[in-house]
Amino acid sequence: MAGRKRVKWALVGGVVAAALLAAACEPNPPATTETSGAASTAELPPPNPLKNAYFGDLHVHTRNSFDAYIFNVRATPDDAYNYARGQTIKHAAGFDVRLTDKPLDFLAVTDHAEYLGVLPAINTPGHPFSQVPYAGELFSTDLAVVNTAFRRFGDSLRAGKRMAEFEDMSPTRSAWAEIKAAAERHNDPGRFTSFIGYEYTSPPEGRNLHRNVIFAGSNAPDLPFSALESQDPSDLWTWMDEQRALGNEALAIPHNSNGSDGRMFERTKWNGQPIDQEWADRRIRNEPLVEVTQVKGTSETHPLLSPNDEFAGFEIMEWYIGSATPITKFEGGYVRDALRAGIEMQARDGYNPFKFGLIGSSDTHNAAGSFEEPNYFSKVGIMDATPERRGSTPPEGNTWETYTPPDNVARYSTWGASGLTGVWAEENTRPSIYAGLRRKETFATTGPRIKVRFFAGPDLASVNLGEDAGLRAAYDKGVPMGGDLVAPAAASPDFLVWAIRDPDSAPLQRVQIIKGWTGADGKSNERIYDVACSDGGAVNPATNRCADNGATVDIATCAFSADKGDAELSASWKDPDFDPKLHAFYYVRVLENPTCRWSTWDAVRAGIEPNPALEKTIQERAYSSPIWYVPTGG
Amino acid sequence: MSEAVPTPRSSWWARGLRDPLVHFLLAGAALFILHALFNRADLGGPPQQITISAGRVAQLQESFRLIANRPPSAQELSALVDDFVREEIAYREAVAIGLDQDDTIIRRRLRQKLEFTMEDISAVDEPTEADLVDWLAAHPDRYQRPERRALMQALASGDRRGADADAAARGFITALAAGADPLGVGDPSLLPRAIPLTTRDGVRAIFGDAFAAAAFEAPAGDWLGPVRSPFGAHAVRIVSVEPPETPPFSDLRDQLREDWIAARRDEMRTAAAERLRSRYQVKIDWPDGLDPAGPQAGAGAAAKAGALQ
Repeated sequence: MAGRKRVKWALVGGVVAAALLAAACEPNPPATTETSGAASTAELPPPNPLKNAYFGDLHVHTRNSFDAYIFNVRATPDDAYNYARGQTIKHAAGFDVRLTDKPLDFLAVTDHAEYLGVLPAINTPGHPFSQVPYAGELFSTDLAVVNTAFRRFGDSLRAGKRMAEFEDMSPTRSAWAEIKAAAERHNDPGRFTSFIGYEYTSPPEGRNLHRNVIFAGSNAPDLPFSALESQDPSDLWTWMDEQRALGNEALAIPHNSNGSDGRMFERTKWNGQPIDQEWADRRIRNEPLVEVTQVKGTSETHPLLSPNDEFAGFEIMEWYIGSATPITKFEGGYVRDALRAGIEMQARDGYNPFKFGLIGSSDTHNAAGSFEEPNYFSKVGIMDATPERRGSTPPEGNTWETYTPPDNVARYSTWGASGLTGVWAEENTRPSIYAGLRRKETFATTGPRIKVRFFAGPDLASVNLGEDAGLRAAYDKGVPMGGDLVAPAAASPDFLVWAIRDPDSAPLQRVQIIKGWTGADGKSNERIYDVACSDGGAVNPATNRCADNGATVDIATCAFSADKGDAELSASWKDPDFDPKLHAFYYVRVLENPTCRWSTWDAVRAGIEPNPALEKTIQERAYSSPIWYVPTGG
Repeated sequence: MSEAVPTPRSSWWARGLRDPLVHFLLAGAALFILHALFNRADLGGPPQQITISAGRVAQLQESFRLIANRPPSAQELSALVDDFVREEIAYREAVAIGLDQDDTIIRRRLRQKLEFTMEDISAVDEPTEADLVDWLAAHPDRYQRPERRALMQALASGDRRGADADAAARGFITALAAGADPLGVGDPSLLPRAIPLTTRDGVRAIFGDAFAAAAFEAPAGDWLGPVRSPFGAHAVRIVSVEPPETPPFSDLRDQLREDWIAARRDEMRTAAAERLRSRYQVKIDWPDGLDPAGPQAGAGAAAKAGALQ
């Protein structure tokens, strides 16, 4: 009810914004200006040249997304920003949701560009879209009827063809104007950063090639480029190049490569032709980051791709998105595998389309990310709003012995309370955070606010990242995460890593450096080195592993050992297998002590056994962007 | 991304359509409707009037023009009018025998239309300057910026010192009180040693709840502690305190206006709903044990009642 008037206001705002944009048509995006009117910049903290860690979510859906609206989500972009800033909003199922730990530093609303704003229009009496013959079925009280009618949208997306009845783009135009206006309204330099963004939703034959497009500033086009224009992501990059020339700088962030059945990082172009320099450059110019973890699973690596990685089987998604079709092709669908393919191409062909940094985000369709295991409300509105609907408690009168959750519930049960983007930036402003994203000075977490520093360079061994002088030296003499180490080296450079726990989550158990490198045969390899162990433990040089620190969780209460794990873990490390002639990448993985998974928390609250099909505990983690070692000369 | 709405394995209505009893009932209902229609027609009495106004004809003509990009021919217009007459008759007959009753979609549409109409009627006036001043005076908490503090801290690391961290932090306090350089005291850590003016939530995000609570109760000036956190024990000095403040009216005007309008609209909507409701006496016949106000309703029963509504 309130929505209708608000849309009108947003339209006015959009028109004003468009007029301002037209007036300020410069080749480069101008610095973001204060728009909220409620803050003066005089009292802001000064920028920190040694950078602070800021946490945010770059993947959030609201009522404007066609699927969210069907899930009964009515929360607006304003609600999404208010939630990020710590306010309470309503969940689609009627209960209140709020970030209990701490607000976020930045957020982008990224509604699906395809049929953006169309479902609300269908549900508005008097709107021409409300005349489509299946309008009543879409909003029926019988879920089977809804499903049949709604399938048209999924089919249209998979086919990449816009339905003829929705060729009028005005509802999309006004929803997009509302999204832009909301981002402008909530941007509060020094305190909170908002980005204009959207999701490009390409699922050829159901294989997930989705990306989020994040704009650098206030300059954004009148309509987003959607998968109904082209399902081939390289057409999106071409469009982004054109937009950049118009002053609309943006980057695209692929996500759920785990649901692509091997297509997200396939070794050919869309048409099956081999990758070439121009294509590789266009991809990495537009896609410097990948979302490695989110509610629908973590895409770092799969146990079948990394059989020697005992921490690989973390929150794996086994199915195509929105379907019970199993994933069968893992190569091309996971991040570590893509980083390896990238340096293989670099060594063989001289270019690397997969030289990306890492972020995490939620992909919430509730306008509210669910990051905390003890406070989990999942992702898709009324569909998974209760423990029973997300497979963590059986229906009344059943036990786990007598009940098998239906397909969709089984899928929801494997989803996770993840993830967040960490950015190292001088201050919490759009230009500073965006520059951090562009530099790939980013890390991903599976929910907790773990922070991790990572540098590499020659002669850093004596540098202490726990002091400002040490950080300054590390920036001066080395490269941070996301960077290229091109210094000629005879012996291994020094790698410095320092991780600090989230005071509201569990202590840290270990820090690992994950290395990928190309062998003399041109094929890539991977190896995992524990570099810092908690509780005074030492790395066993034969296995490169810390001893188990013995941390435990009481499944009946979710209490975890108070005396195990460290608040901070750090290391200065040299690669014992370093070869200066070979291409390599290194990234950090930080592991917390085990804690209860959200499904165990649901079971504890219900006073029942946790679902035996699910992991009872997880080890939350953080992933840094890689540092690439680039050999020089012979 | 998108998630398909699940299909029940076999829906109740699909099963129902195969049931002979359902066939029988549907056939019966159809006979009843036909009977009602034709009997009404046979009842005699003066025929009902349907008048198609000139305005209506013009509107039909205009909608045709919008779709086809040309005006309708005389024949086409006659067909449009004829179709409209048939629609009007069908509508009246359907309403007369109650086909609009108990139809979920029609009920929802009517409710929506009514609510939109009420909202349009109750369009909110622009607030005056005085309205906004009053609003701010009535809701000072909403617009107040929270207290902020600038502080310094030196950490005695729990990882490094274990149970001795408190004693080490006391040693730091003594050294710092005696004038030691704060940058030279404390264990190395990623925690910042100096925190510029920051809200309690901001301090909490970095150091945790207990530290933030202590730091926002401590007096400004001297080094004090030890203050405990998940990282160990800290020597803490509050450098400055900026009390909570209400920003000047001019900075808040836009937000006040938005909030005032939203609140007025809310008020009017609630009042309108209550006014309508006051015309009705609502009696709910709760099945046994499901009355939320009743004595037997447990949590499970209440959940079921919710599902029935």
